[in-house]
Amino acid sequence: MPNSVVAPTPTENFVGPVLTVQGLSKTYGKLQALHNVNLEIEPGEIFALLGVNGAGKTTMIECICGLQAHFEGQISVAGFDVRKEYARARQITGLVPQELNFDGFFRSLETVSSQGGYFGLRQPDQKARALMKRLSLEGKEKDNTRNLSGGMKRRLMIAKALMHDPALLFLDEPTAGVDVELRDDLWEYVRELRGNGTTIVLTTHYLEEAEKLADRIGIINRGRLLLVERRDHLMDKFGRKRVTLRTAQPLPKHLSRELRIYQWEEGQENEYHFHFRRDETEPTLPRLFELLGQYGVSITDVETRQSRLEDIFRELLQSDDETTS
Amino acid sequence: MKPPLETASPASEQTSASARRKIAAAREKALQNQGWQGTYALFIREVKRFMKIAGQSIVSPVLTTLLYFVVFGFSLGSRLQEIEGIPYIDFLVPGLMMLNLINNAFLNSSFSLFIAKIHGAIVDVLVTPLTPLQIIMAYVGASVVRAVVTGLIIWLVASLMGAGTVAYPLFTIVFMLLTAIGFALFGIIVAIYSETFDQINLLPSFFLMPLTFLGGVFYSISMLPPFWQAVSLANPILYMINGLRYGMTGVSDVSPWIGLGILTALVLLCGLHAWHLLHTGKKLRE
Repeated sequence: MPNSVVAPTPTENFVGPVLTVQGLSKTYGKLQALHNVNLEIEPGEIFALLGVNGAGKTTMIECICGLQAHFEGQISVAGFDVRKEYARARQITGLVPQELNFDGFFRSLETVSSQGGYFGLRQPDQKARALMKRLSLEGKEKDNTRNLSGGMKRRLMIAKALMHDPALLFLDEPTAGVDVELRDDLWEYVRELRGNGTTIVLTTHYLEEAEKLADRIGIINRGRLLLVERRDHLMDKFGRKRVTLRTAQPLPKHLSRELRIYQWEEGQENEYHFHFRRDETEPTLPRLFELLGQYGVSITDVETRQSRLEDIFRELLQSDDETTS
Repeated sequence: MKPPLETASPASEQTSASARRKIAAAREKALQNQGWQGTYALFIREVKRFMKIAGQSIVSPVLTTLLYFVVFGFSLGSRLQEIEGIPYIDFLVPGLMMLNLINNAFLNSSFSLFIAKIHGAIVDVLVTPLTPLQIIMAYVGASVVRAVVTGLIIWLVASLMGAGTVAYPLFTIVFMLLTAIGFALFGIIVAIYSETFDQINLLPSFFLMPLTFLGGVFYSISMLPPFWQAVSLANPILYMINGLRYGMTGVSDVSPWIGLGILTALVLLCGLHAWHLLHTGKKLRE
């Protein structure tokens, strides 16, 4: 007899955003750390929150995860208000904080197991071992947490945050202090977690991290969420392509008038930089080559450079800083 | 097959559906979890913590107390012989036990919480579904275990050494428990307010220890001149020591019920204040 598969009933699926942040403002004395932040996170996405130090990323995560009791606005996790129904909201949320912490009284395995216990797990040891193994901490179970390296402490904190199998995981600078090889492994693990149904919000300084992992990106500056966009839309909308042409001889003077429709400037000797929006190069670039051909310019070298998220991010922050100042 | 590292694939229909199922399951779990298993886990963690430093948390206080017992009991005891109609050794044991109960209960909760705060490990507890009451119960429970266990060891050893101190066992146990609970709660409050090791040491060194020593651990206040008797009566710890002494020997300088009342008030006031601090997140969630 074939195994019967029970289809999930409608009540088994949660409907709506897993995280809703409405009008979130937070002040520390005179400092406005967050200013009217609104955000919704959809189930199953990887969301990257980008911002420089002090932009408000950690404060925002702390408000959501219960580490900040006082703020204005509303936050709900899977429909539970994080202040009125905090116990329920926290059961759904997992947090890997930015600040490395350790519990000098205990061995690594004990701290991971205890964390599962706090969330109601009765026999947490086996799961703790499996998570430590997955996070390349095998063999470190008996080491005191104090003696682990920074990268190991970070991974131990990830293991702790995952003990209760949170549906919404916050990774606050998850790869800070982790070497490149392990960083790639962690990224892969983040994707694996998402594959298992975990929704992930991460903050990062490494723009490469957001570029490679995130479905959507939020950019925060001085406590304001400047924009939230799908990663690919963001790249298309704000991305630039620079095409550098090197020519055998200088461009003829009368060609300059023809080139007015392009955004370009001279570089070093016989070197010209042309700037295009990421999505506009296709029709315009061949036209440029055609034009140069008509004027008998012989091209000796072509180099293209796509702007990356890092450039977009810098540009956005610069324009925001100019506006606010 | 692993997804390529270079690109991030948007949440597919399938991923979104599995995430929605996971959230629904987590919601179920959240609605069911009342936090008591978690409270037990935190309590066990706290007990394990002081057991890992048992030399310092159990053996050392027992030894120190027994040294007091031997030095004061036998040296002074042979001269004083009887005090309030009972052998000096019997008189001394409850005072030393109270000294030990207060110290251990206070030090356990205050240091554990304070160190977790300093090392950042407190975050691990703050992000859990545990309520302020549950966190308090776990910390206080472990402190009570430490204080009462050391107290009972001292009681047992003193009895083996010839002290006859089992007048009202039930009253004694209740008194021991209330003392341990009250000072463990006090320890939580001090740990929350303290920002440096100096601050956390301030109270035991300059407040608890002097008040306990001057509260009649080693002497009866009837042996003091009237002025110092009157001053001593303003010391709340005097009533606690005498309450325990009443339970263990049947003898007391003051009414043991006042001691019981003071302890009950201490438990209620410190309990409410500790709950308020954790509930509002003062110094911990700000």
